[in-house]
Amino acid sequence: MKVGFLHSLIRKEEKLLIEEFKKRDGVELVMMDDRRLIFDLHSKPDVDVVIERCINHSRAMHGLRLLESAGIKCVNSADVATVCGDKILTSLALADHGVPQPEVRVAFTEDSALNAIEELGYPAVLKPAVGSWGRLLSKVNDRESAESILEHKSILGSYHHSIFYVQKFIEKKGRDIRSFVVGDDCIAAIYRTSEHWITNTARGAVASGCEVTDELRETSLRAARAVGGGIVAVDLFETPRGLLVNEVNYTMEFRNSISTSGVNFPEKMVTYVIQAGA
Amino acid sequence: MAECPVCDAEIELAADAVQGELMECADCGTELEVLSLDPVKLGEAPETEEDWGE
Repeated sequence: MKVGFLHSLIRKEEKLLIEEFKKRDGVELVMMDDRRLIFDLHSKPDVDVVIERCINHSRAMHGLRLLESAGIKCVNSADVATVCGDKILTSLALADHGVPQPEVRVAFTEDSALNAIEELGYPAVLKPAVGSWGRLLSKVNDRESAESILEHKSILGSYHHSIFYVQKFIEKKGRDIRSFVVGDDCIAAIYRTSEHWITNTARGAVASGCEVTDELRETSLRAARAVGGGIVAVDLFETPRGLLVNEVNYTMEFRNSISTSGVNFPEKMVTYVIQAGA
Repeated sequence: MAECPVCDAEIELAADAVQGELMECADCGTELEVLSLDPVKLGEAPETEEDWGE
């Protein structure tokens, strides 16, 4: 079997996956650097399945679409990348499937966004619809800061930043949960703890062990199915009314989670990809 | 053996290094990318872009 490895930079996660693929009998790994690829809309790359590990969302989304149009099975699919890469589409998918999430508002102008924030109440969280690693998130504590942040986004940002995604702020007591789903299995979970209200490990949050309870497994699998399934990481808040799904990530990072969980992520991911390509 | 493009320190690549791999110069701390393996060539890793992430 020929496995295409769609990538750009090779980080720790990609290195571990490459090592795991090389251990498998009968698997030939074909490296596909998105910085060198040219698609002609006709040719079919000589691979049976593709694993997507791009660092740019836009390249992943379009690359997957082009590969799928050539008839190649991709993990994750272009649809999953499209939905997970856009918080509005993710929230819609979660809502369509009845998966619990924080209250959300979407608005297109400064005035309507301000009304949306006031409707949710302070504090609220403003997020770019497309973005990751906790960047450009704003916790809006009052009307004055709301007006200022909205004005800055409108004037200084590209047009993407005038699509206002507003989420009700959830008091999470310094931590959230990240769970990892591979197919129909929630393979592991970690707590991400920080004194900062943003608890991404990319922003310095510390990972620690988290038991995969029945509720966590069920909610994670429902979130994964809502966005189209595959290999995804689900971010969740613990609240008095149960777990709420915050985001779903389709090119999941797991370097901080292997030793914490004791789970062999590359082994499970590679097995899933090979089965998908069989 | 390769040379750090920033501080000229000599850097030995791991035997299993791959093209595109990120690494850090032990001398100056710059994040580097393996641009090619034969010949070995290192460059400064690209700056974070707006749509980078998971």
